[in-house]
Amino acid sequence: MKHNKVFKPFKILLSLLILTSMFSCERDDICASATPTTPHLIVSFYNINDRTELKTVRRMRVKEANNPKLIIDDSTKNSITLPLRIEVLDNLNTTRFELTRDVDFISDEDTTTEANTDILEVTYTPELIYVSRACGYKSIFNGVIAGRESDPNNWIIDVEVINTTINNENAAHINIYH
Amino acid sequence: MQRISIFIISLIFLMVLPLTSFGQEGIVNQEETLNDTIVVKQKYGLRLGGDIGKLARSFIDDDYTGFEISGDYRLTKKLYLAGELGTEENTIRNDYLDVTSKGNYFKAGIDYNLYRNWLDMENLIYTGLRVGVSTFSQNLNNYTVYTTDQYYDTPFTSSDLREYKGLSAIWVEFVVGVKAELVTNLFAGINVQVKGMVAENEPENFENLFVPGFNRTFDSGRFGFGFGYNVSYLIPIFKKNKKIPVGE
Repeated sequence: MKHNKVFKPFKILLSLLILTSMFSCERDDICASATPTTPHLIVSFYNINDRTELKTVRRMRVKEANNPKLIIDDSTKNSITLPLRIEVLDNLNTTRFELTRDVDFISDEDTTTEANTDILEVTYTPELIYVSRACGYKSIFNGVIAGRESDPNNWIIDVEVINTTINNENAAHINIYH
Repeated sequence: MQRISIFIISLIFLMVLPLTSFGQEGIVNQEETLNDTIVVKQKYGLRLGGDIGKLARSFIDDDYTGFEISGDYRLTKKLYLAGELGTEENTIRNDYLDVTSKGNYFKAGIDYNLYRNWLDMENLIYTGLRVGVSTFSQNLNNYTVYTTDQYYDTPFTSSDLREYKGLSAIWVEFVVGVKAELVTNLFAGINVQVKGMVAENEPENFENLFVPGFNRTFDSGRFGFGFGYNVSYLIPIFKKNKKIPVGE
């Protein structure tokens, strides 16, 4: 019985230690990769002659106009995801993408074929949305407007905004007909 | 879910441990025969103190400033009125957020002493309940918009201060702790608090990351944790001579 009295404070202290050990190791502090954060712009390519039919773009290269880095390098696709730049919040921002098809024609010997670059201009208003302690804020994009710049030889015939709000990556926001 | 089950198991563990040892003592006392008494001078009343853990952290941790005064008042041998009054300022920083919470809090409730003191001692091994309220503000000092895409070299960052004022929260606490007399009338204590948020008023398009008195919040639920190291002084308001029966 005597030993019980002596050890009681230690038992309590031990219980407290077990409880405090739960403080460590906290998942809340890492932003889980599955968390939806700032969405990309999704662009799908359709056939201009049959506007419901997806149509791949042959050997495409994509970059932002002022950025030397390539987003897509020589790939044949019917849908692409593009990052939108945020310069100011709650105001109009514009990003210009250079979409080049047939990039292999730049370097080949045949002078009758050539690559064709069109510029897709996207205008949008970023809005901050709070996500969580670990992820902080994401941005969604409202009031999306898109068009292609005219040049003497456009391969993009028509641009249509399907979704004026970019707040997820579930479906295409912009359709391009070519 | 896993965290909640660990939490419940710990709670049961904490509550059962003192009770089991307590039950055994009761049996011993019943067996004692009463045939003599001694007189013990008891003194009790108001115990006032401060949290030295918070004070120490204020000096060590640049992102934290806080202080808490606490008091308990003996109602019966086992039951104490208890409360804490404090102020805290805490900055949470990560790659995407830099937030300073600042405010005051007040906690009131009871402590129940599980420890049977010898003679004139006023030590405590206690469990307690509190209701806590806090009024505070949160300043978003800095933030960076989270994006998984590294294409643009610097993601959007802003250091335009956003202030969220007039926030408040109310919660309940379950406390387990020890207070032991080191020298005459001077006590040292340690306690652990498990908290459950009852209601909080959250800023629009943001959340309360740290509530003074409650500590950091968790994404997964309403629970919070805290601990305290306090030093307190017993002001002996009441003194009485108590006759205590002594066995042979």
